[in-house]
Amino acid sequence: MKILHVEDNPELTQNVMNYLSAEGIICESVSTLFAAQDKILSFQYDCILLDLMLPDGNGLDLLDIIKDQKITTNVLIISAKDALDDRLKGLDQGADDYLPKPFHLSELLARLKAIFRRSKLGGFDEVIFNEIRIEIHQLLAKVNEQILDLTKKEFDLLLFFITNKNRVLGKQAIAQHLWGDYTDNLANFDFVYQHVKNLRKKITAAGGTDYISTVYGIGYKFDPLVPQNRED
Amino acid sequence: MKLINIITGWYLGITLAALLVGGFFIYDKLASEIDFELGMELTRQIDAYAARLENGVPAEGLQYDKLEIKEIPYHLPIEELDLRDTLAYHDPMNQNEVQLKASKSYKIDGKHYRISYFNLVVEADDITETVVVTMVAVFAIQLVFIGFFFRIISKKIFRPFHESLDAVQDFSFRKNEPLEFSKNGITEFEKLNEFLERMTKKLLKDYRQIKEFSENLSHEIQTPSAVIRGKLEHLMNEKITEDQANLISSAYQNNERINRIVRSLGMLAKLENEEFESPEPINLSSFTDKTLTDLEELIEIRSIKIIREIDPMVWLEIHPFVAEVLLSNLIGNAIRHNNEDGIITIELNSEFLKIENTGIPPQTNPEEYLERFKKGSTHQESVGLGLAIVNQICKNYGFRLYYLFENNMHVIRILFR
Repeated sequence: MKILHVEDNPELTQNVMNYLSAEGIICESVSTLFAAQDKILSFQYDCILLDLMLPDGNGLDLLDIIKDQKITTNVLIISAKDALDDRLKGLDQGADDYLPKPFHLSELLARLKAIFRRSKLGGFDEVIFNEIRIEIHQLLAKVNEQILDLTKKEFDLLLFFITNKNRVLGKQAIAQHLWGDYTDNLANFDFVYQHVKNLRKKITAAGGTDYISTVYGIGYKFDPLVPQNRED
Repeated sequence: MKLINIITGWYLGITLAALLVGGFFIYDKLASEIDFELGMELTRQIDAYAARLENGVPAEGLQYDKLEIKEIPYHLPIEELDLRDTLAYHDPMNQNEVQLKASKSYKIDGKHYRISYFNLVVEADDITETVVVTMVAVFAIQLVFIGFFFRIISKKIFRPFHESLDAVQDFSFRKNEPLEFSKNGITEFEKLNEFLERMTKKLLKDYRQIKEFSENLSHEIQTPSAVIRGKLEHLMNEKITEDQANLISSAYQNNERINRIVRSLGMLAKLENEEFESPEPINLSSFTDKTLTDLEELIEIRSIKIIREIDPMVWLEIHPFVAEVLLSNLIGNAIRHNNEDGIITIELNSEFLKIENTGIPPQTNPEEYLERFKKGSTHQESVGLGLAIVNQICKNYGFRLYYLFENNMHVIRILFR
């Protein structure tokens, strides 16, 4: 997957680049609207991460160019300007999703993958990790072909873990992923703990490996190496 | 009371007073004028009879019903003209009537005559009647004129004023247009309009500045906060010791807290600036159901029992996003501040929304929690703005919000009307 990050803050760009390139995503970045126009007219990207507040204009203008030039790309708007009308305007003008700043990098990756799956894989999107197979469209998760009886949130949680495998996921990031922006007064981490506990129980009960490990007080990690560690 | 009615009332009152005073003067003047004219006429008559006596007409030959000639002793001094009211027999009316009597004495040919002449006076009642009838007629004509023309004219004169009034009522920050008026040629209204134009321009400018300030603030804080969050997330993935993990966790959580505060304050600012329009009524019942569904797993985890008394068709004019924030804040609070195995009762109908939940009794008057940064719990994650936001939403939409603790339950009640 190849993406273009349009963002004027170099630190933020650095964060995003580091996180995404570790996932094998090719990430280019520009810091102005003008440079972004240049790039999208010359190269093909799977997705554009678009900040709306740019030094030389509003990122929404880029959406018009994409529409006018019939450029096929997905757009994920990222903005601190979480003014509601901007969000609606952006989605109206053809953006695929909107992520308010500040976002968790794990959330960004999950959104990117979701957009990518929707646009490239149609209805047959599956995520397979060892013995775990997730049929996203059907909301089905299987371990060794045995269907797991998961709630919607547990399903989301499992997908979130596998999308961000090998990464430490903060409890806040998980809470925000599951309950969204304005329910963050619910980010009582007992809830996260309970959900993770239930998910682990259900996977092991179906004969799957418990890949999820606790990282001190910070959060959790879906760690493909856990079983090997245990064998040691 | 309408301006035109007040003006009409005062105008009529003043006219009535003026007519009363005027009537009194007219009466007075009329009475004295009539008396004067009558006196003149009587004097003229007496002089005429005296002239006839001088011409040799015998006094006995001058006998009329209004005339009285009497010979008086010659040595008496000549009597000057004397006018006085007297009761005298009036032939045509066959009764005694108040009459004006003029008398004067003349010395003619060695004889001394007192000649008196009467005539009927115009009675006070008659004058009063005339005056009153006239005044009432004038007043009635005024009433009719005011009734018709005053209103028509005032409508014409006050039209620019009413236009300004309508424009002011229509003024909204969301439209973002200062008021503009066309010239109307009336100095006072022009002044008013000019002032309104200037004021609305200033208001819009201030409003934009506040809006920009809160937007900039949120942007300027959120970007570095996003950088911090990213760096900490990277750090989490490094090889770290438990101590380092605790430090990272603490820094991370406080950064999250800054975020929540900035976002909540941003939301409050947006509500205060009335940036949310409510274009059409939404079905609040289905929003409530959706919020409960979103949170049902949390409710289950805490083994909370939910009692729903939700009318299926409650329509309310409120921005959908605001409705979501309102419900998720309230229901979220009811879950978070609840006991294990607690109860939440949600009652929704077209009159009110009532959310009751079990929980630790409040230390102070629960209404205080509606203020900013006042919170009853020591939860690390709560910043104490949730209910302030709910309070502001209620203010914006004219709902009445009550927070009580009764029967061992926290009760939040929102009356929609």
